Amino acid sequence: MMDTQILEVINVTREAAWLPWAVQYFFLIGLSVGGVLLSLPGYAFARDGWRPLGRLALIVALTCGLAAPVALLSDLHQPGRFWHFYVVFRPTSWMWWGSLFIPLYIGALLLYGWACLREELWAHGRIDSRLAGLYRLAALGGGRNDRLIRAAGLLVLAGAALVALYTGVEVAVVKARPLWHTPFLPLQFLTTALAGAAGLVLILNRTVGGADRRVEVRGNRLLAGALAAVMLCGGLWLWLGLSGLDAGHAAALESVAGSEAWRVTAVWAVAATVVPFVIAIGWPAGTGWLTGLIAVHSAWMFRWTVFIGGQTVPKTGAGFYDYALPAGPDGLLGIVGTAGLWLFLLILLTSVLPTPHRPADGRRAPLPPHGTAVPAE
Amino acid sequence: MDRSRRNFCLGAGAAAVGAATLAAAPSDAAPSGTVAGVAAARTGGDPAHRWAMVVDVRKCVGCQACTVACIMENDVPENSFRTIVSTYEVTEQDKAGSYMLPRLCNHCEDPPCIPVCPTGATFQRTDGIVVVDNTVCVGCAYCVQACPYDARFINHNSQTADKCTFCVHRVDAGLLPACVETCVGGARVFGDLKDPASAVSRLVREADPKVLKPEQGTQPRVFYIGLDPRFQGKVDGTPTLWRPSAHTERSHAGKEHA
Repeated sequence: MMDTQILEVINVTREAAWLPWAVQYFFLIGLSVGGVLLSLPGYAFARDGWRPLGRLALIVALTCGLAAPVALLSDLHQPGRFWHFYVVFRPTSWMWWGSLFIPLYIGALLLYGWACLREELWAHGRIDSRLAGLYRLAALGGGRNDRLIRAAGLLVLAGAALVALYTGVEVAVVKARPLWHTPFLPLQFLTTALAGAAGLVLILNRTVGGADRRVEVRGNRLLAGALAAVMLCGGLWLWLGLSGLDAGHAAALESVAGSEAWRVTAVWAVAATVVPFVIAIGWPAGTGWLTGLIAVHSAWMFRWTVFIGGQTVPKTGAGFYDYALPAGPDGLLGIVGTAGLWLFLLILLTSVLPTPHRPADGRRAPLPPHGTAVPAE
Repeated sequence: MDRSRRNFCLGAGAAAVGAATLAAAPSDAAPSGTVAGVAAARTGGDPAHRWAMVVDVRKCVGCQACTVACIMENDVPENSFRTIVSTYEVTEQDKAGSYMLPRLCNHCEDPPCIPVCPTGATFQRTDGIVVVDNTVCVGCAYCVQACPYDARFINHNSQTADKCTFCVHRVDAGLLPACVETCVGGARVFGDLKDPASAVSRLVREADPKVLKPEQGTQPRVFYIGLDPRFQGKVDGTPTLWRPSAHTERSHAGKEHA
């Protein structure tokens, strides 16, 4: 056996059937769930100190949450048949459950987003502008309502939990792919999503959020916490794989350990987690751009590695399949297109509801009291 | 296949029946191509049979006649394969030899591709044959991921999941699958496991055949005689010299036209 050499002469390559669209979906829906969780203290728990960060997290949740289903639909090779999910009862399929959870979550997210932003809509409705009527209509004649926010928050939290559960388990149940078939995968999706959401909050703080220093420091602390959870999950995964205590993890590690490319990817992933963690802990102020970008990159890369990388591991053939990113809709165009949709939603949302101005000391300017007409700027 | 007509049937069926389809009992009279029609098709096949294949790898010469016959019989798109003979060069103690392993859907007794399907497009007939209704499949490729044998793929003509069906249309007509019919060395034997006198029953009983990846618990109904344990799971070797793939082909075509 020792001096046996096997050379595969003829076999078939099974191309990646879950396309970069799937990576985009899992990335965006993960960030949306993370955004919801980060927005809860500021809105659902009405802690005013958390409001500025919560507002950015809410923008993350809404923009990513609305773009995600488009990417998911595009990953279907027959997207026009999506309604087939809804005329059958398939409780054995986590994807079928997902088709129920997604509209529940998006519906709850829209309700929650509206409840949270209603105060701002109402305030804009008091401004003397041609759109004031529309804002008043959107606010449905009311301002801040903490009870409504809490109720909607509970609903969206339930939706987010279901989405986090199904997206993780849907992949983890695939026994045919050892790399996916570990109980850690749902946790890894969730923790990296939280890190990605915190990262995007930090980026938005520097772009559309007014570069609030306290948001940056708090965001970096949250990011450090999420990255610590990522490292804990990753460390346990690796330890279980190396120690051989669990056959599933050992098989997962073994399926990729022999590849130089995978080793480089692993080192890269560790660096993309440790570096922003150290920066966020050591220098939480003034580093939001850097830590945010690395964290978002890290969250995306994790999903790319799991989905696209995972599909390059043949189930029966020798070695690994090659993967080259196509330029068209099945590849680069899909990634860029999804990113473009997200950017459009961001521009739309921040145009309709610009970040409230702050006084020079960094505190949020109080919203006008009910019944006060504020002149247009 | 008249796909536009079938799509119309799907739309019309959904509009007319709507959510009531959920509760409706499968009807044999339901038109093929409607969601209710799929439920009817699940009862297809004769439960008196359990179709299976025994592959005697000692007799396989790696001619790929089965590969070509399958493509011609089933109109398999270019660079996709429902079956292929994986071919290996094995060098032991400075002696090189060839090893051939025909691969196809294993029509498992406990197929992991079926429970994951979110629409019920893939199902098992009562005679054990696992099929895909490509008028219902949404092309989500969950089944492609779930199959431990890399037996499934996305057919880029129909944009749905595709795989070996044991040539179900031929079997229903009393014929052998195309790969069995064309096998030069008689390496592929097809038959009914429920018939104790059939060739496959006799071989399964007497030749102690093995299956691929038994640890997956899928209970394949494609058996192998002379299966080297080194080829029973993922092969530990040097990757292939020639490995067709639609994507690679498209890339090459793009370069040629550039």
